[in-house]
Amino acid sequence: MKSLIKFMDSFGAILLAIIWIAPLLFAFWAATHSTSDAVNLNLFSAWTLDNFRVAWAGAPWLKYFLNTFLLVTVILLGQFVLTTLAGFAFAQLRFPGKDYVFILVLMQLFILPEVLIVENYAMVSRLGLFDTVLGVGMPYMASAFGIFLMRQAFKGVPIELHEAARIEGCGLLGILWRVYVPLARPTYLAYALVSVSTHWNNFLWPLIVTNSPETRPLTVGLSIFGAPENGVDISVISAATLMSVAPLLIAFLVFQRQFVQAFLRAGIK
Amino acid sequence: MTPSSFVKLDGVAKRWNGQLGVEGISLDIPEGSFTALLGPSGCGKSTTLRLLAGLELPDEGTISIDGKDVTTSAASDRNLSMVFQSYALFPHLSVAENVVFGLKVRRVSKKERQVKLHRALEITGLLGYERRKPGELSGGQRQRVALARAIVAGQRLCLMDEPLSNLDAKLRNAVRKDIKKLQRDLGITVVYVTHDQTEAMSMADTVVLMKDGHIQQIGSPDDLYSRPNNTFVAEFVGAPPMALIDATAFASVFDNSATVGIRAENIQIVPSGQGRLRCVVTESEFLGAETLIGLDHAGASGLCVLKPGLAMVAEGSEIDIDFQDESLHVFDADGQRLTG
Repeated sequence: MKSLIKFMDSFGAILLAIIWIAPLLFAFWAATHSTSDAVNLNLFSAWTLDNFRVAWAGAPWLKYFLNTFLLVTVILLGQFVLTTLAGFAFAQLRFPGKDYVFILVLMQLFILPEVLIVENYAMVSRLGLFDTVLGVGMPYMASAFGIFLMRQAFKGVPIELHEAARIEGCGLLGILWRVYVPLARPTYLAYALVSVSTHWNNFLWPLIVTNSPETRPLTVGLSIFGAPENGVDISVISAATLMSVAPLLIAFLVFQRQFVQAFLRAGIK
Repeated sequence: MTPSSFVKLDGVAKRWNGQLGVEGISLDIPEGSFTALLGPSGCGKSTTLRLLAGLELPDEGTISIDGKDVTTSAASDRNLSMVFQSYALFPHLSVAENVVFGLKVRRVSKKERQVKLHRALEITGLLGYERRKPGELSGGQRQRVALARAIVAGQRLCLMDEPLSNLDAKLRNAVRKDIKKLQRDLGITVVYVTHDQTEAMSMADTVVLMKDGHIQQIGSPDDLYSRPNNTFVAEFVGAPPMALIDATAFASVFDNSATVGIRAENIQIVPSGQGRLRCVVTESEFLGAETLIGLDHAGASGLCVLKPGLAMVAEGSEIDIDFQDESLHVFDADGQRLTG
């Protein structure tokens, strides 16, 4: 009985893994074969890299890559600054109404960003940031999840370290910079992973708020590239898709170990 | 500023939401002295130290250091260093970075930092460990890093909050001597919090014994041992502590005394019928050089007597004890010492 449960456990895990990775495998298959071979699943057909060549020539991918890279960097930097300061205030400072404000921040976790799209759109236009990288990134900078995560990490820092730094002559921001931030490094790393992969893949909001190839990130560029009016070529679209996800995929494969450890150390699994 | 009051606390009080913290703390600490704040846990000794450090602000009273009123100054402006019970070393910094942390914050030049770092590590015997992280050090080494950090800036006042309580007994004895030597060599003023009376008595010039937020007695170790102010001091100081006997238990020669105290070394065992008290033996504890014999008597508490060498006495046997009037400490009904 026990061995049966064990078997079912691993069987279930493998099944889930196959289901999960199947689209990726198919995309890989389709991208490396001609369209007719790809849809026929002809296992002995010839491999080709032509699809990548066609896809690469079909859109300003380099610009899209740069835009996405810039976007996730700007968002991450903004998030680091804001969540660090807010998390520190919630963790270690005393100010009137702290608990209520914190509950307000947490309530942000319950609200889907999509609900706020219209309001955000209006706000970004009012700020004159329409169709800019900053405009795409701004609504995500004051992340409730990030603030919560930083607060927890900072709360775990022993108060003696804070006091020792105070006696050694550190000001409040000095203590934050020299003691709290370095000690929360695993949390920063874990949070960076979540943030980068989320915003690398984000689609709806950038689609709405960007307007030109100058600001368009990969996801939006890919959807325009694969839109029906451009003619559906499954192999070329697969090639383009693989190109879009490649940086994240390769990064994950290379840094797998560190990724998992970062999450373990930050206490979120 | 007179040299007799380098650090001065005057009527300092701190209360936590109505609960008692400390009350009416007045202290004069001369420069270059070693003062121990002693007391059971929760007596307010750590609070007193934290008030002095500036980690808490007093509700009442004034604190001055080196003739300057620092009652409301920030901790960083008080020119003092502190050793924490947990050492409070920064785990992400190496030994060297930990030691020069404060110098760096205060923007001391790199060259001067190097010189001071070398000297501090030399004094504490940590040369060669500069690059280690605190996590790679033993408890004793971490403790020395904390000491090095406290002395590196050359502050004249150093506060220590139970710095030895995380060390094992053997190491504690060694470090105790090191700290005392360090304090003498550098001529710094040390205020040292401990609940261990052996530490306080062996290291300090002045012991401040506290209980429930109030100072019970300030004096030299000898003062506390030989002339306890009240029954609490009598029972707290000394190993074994002073025995207290109800004055009505024997023919007393003292007027209006309620309790008399006697130290174990002043009690003699005498042949049956010749003593002033007849007691029952409750336990015999062999300590090595002597044997501690615990005694029970209806009107006394903590009564015991020391016999040289191994001299176990059967439990339950009755013995008579005698003592001289001169060696008695006399307390009134409130537990306060009467002259004598």
